[in-house]
Amino acid sequence: MGIFELLEETSIALWVGESLWGYPIMLSLHAVGLSIVVGIFTMLNLRILGLLKDIELSAFKSLYKVSWAGLAINAISGFSLFSSQATYFVTSKPFLIKIAAIIVGVIVAIFLYRCLYLKDEDTSEKKTIKDQSTRNLAVLSLLCWTIAIFSGRLVAYL
Amino acid sequence: MTEILIQLIEGSAINSWILSHGWLWPFSEILHFIGLSLLLGGMLIIDLRLMGFLRQMNIIATERLLPWASLGLLINFITGSLFFLGDPARYVINIGFQIKMLLVLIAGLNALWFAIKVKPVIATWEPFSDTPLLAKVIGSVSLVAWLGVLLLGRLIPYVGTG
Repeated sequence: MGIFELLEETSIALWVGESLWGYPIMLSLHAVGLSIVVGIFTMLNLRILGLLKDIELSAFKSLYKVSWAGLAINAISGFSLFSSQATYFVTSKPFLIKIAAIIVGVIVAIFLYRCLYLKDEDTSEKKTIKDQSTRNLAVLSLLCWTIAIFSGRLVAYL
Repeated sequence: MTEILIQLIEGSAINSWILSHGWLWPFSEILHFIGLSLLLGGMLIIDLRLMGFLRQMNIIATERLLPWASLGLLINFITGSLFFLGDPARYVINIGFQIKMLLVLIAGLNALWFAIKVKPVIATWEPFSDTPLLAKVIGSVSLVAWLGVLLLGRLIPYVGTG
């Protein structure tokens, strides 16, 4: 038996897959986590691209913690949803694209954090971000989260 | 009453237009998720600041997030209307949808409360300080209502339909 078949036999997978409320509860939490992660990173990216100039950049340093909490909600809810139909999901192209987009999105978010808060002290409150590589990362970040939402929804259709 | 409404919508041109374009439903669902990210992203930051968190952020500047949150709300109003007009019988009797709409109404009234009680005086507040109790209450109600909207919205396919 492969690892994904084994995963489907675990108690969490059986609870999510077969109980009345397991699947809907995890799905709802997944929507909440999505809104926190994508919502915060979208606003941060708009800020970097110059569309929310009056919002202090340092506030997003705290918001990063909130968005990691959202990511944790979605890692847990997502893993439990995945476990219930693991053998199906690993063959779903939209699902694999979604996971790839999330991995790239998280890596980009970490790089953005380094660009914004670890390079030098002065950048934290700068009104305009002129550094082109930071702005490119913001565009890439927007793209990743959009692809993740797009392909995530298409998992149910394709 | 509701049956007449359902019949009226199901006989309409927009209803058959929605149902005759198979791609429209999943495409609208994707936009609905993008809209909710804009709405929740903006409101989460505004509400946390109103609750007294994120004090590095000028509280007066948070209103710059409102156009983005409003854009999300507009996207979701349009796509949500498509769902409703495409399959009214499914939604009107769905308890998840009913509670979701009630929560949207509460969030709306709460925003009105903010516009009347907070907005006119917010410029006189210390921009980087703690907030008054009223702001904390309004921020909390908003956050709970919108997160509830999300939870209930995702539960619609799974809860009782009368």
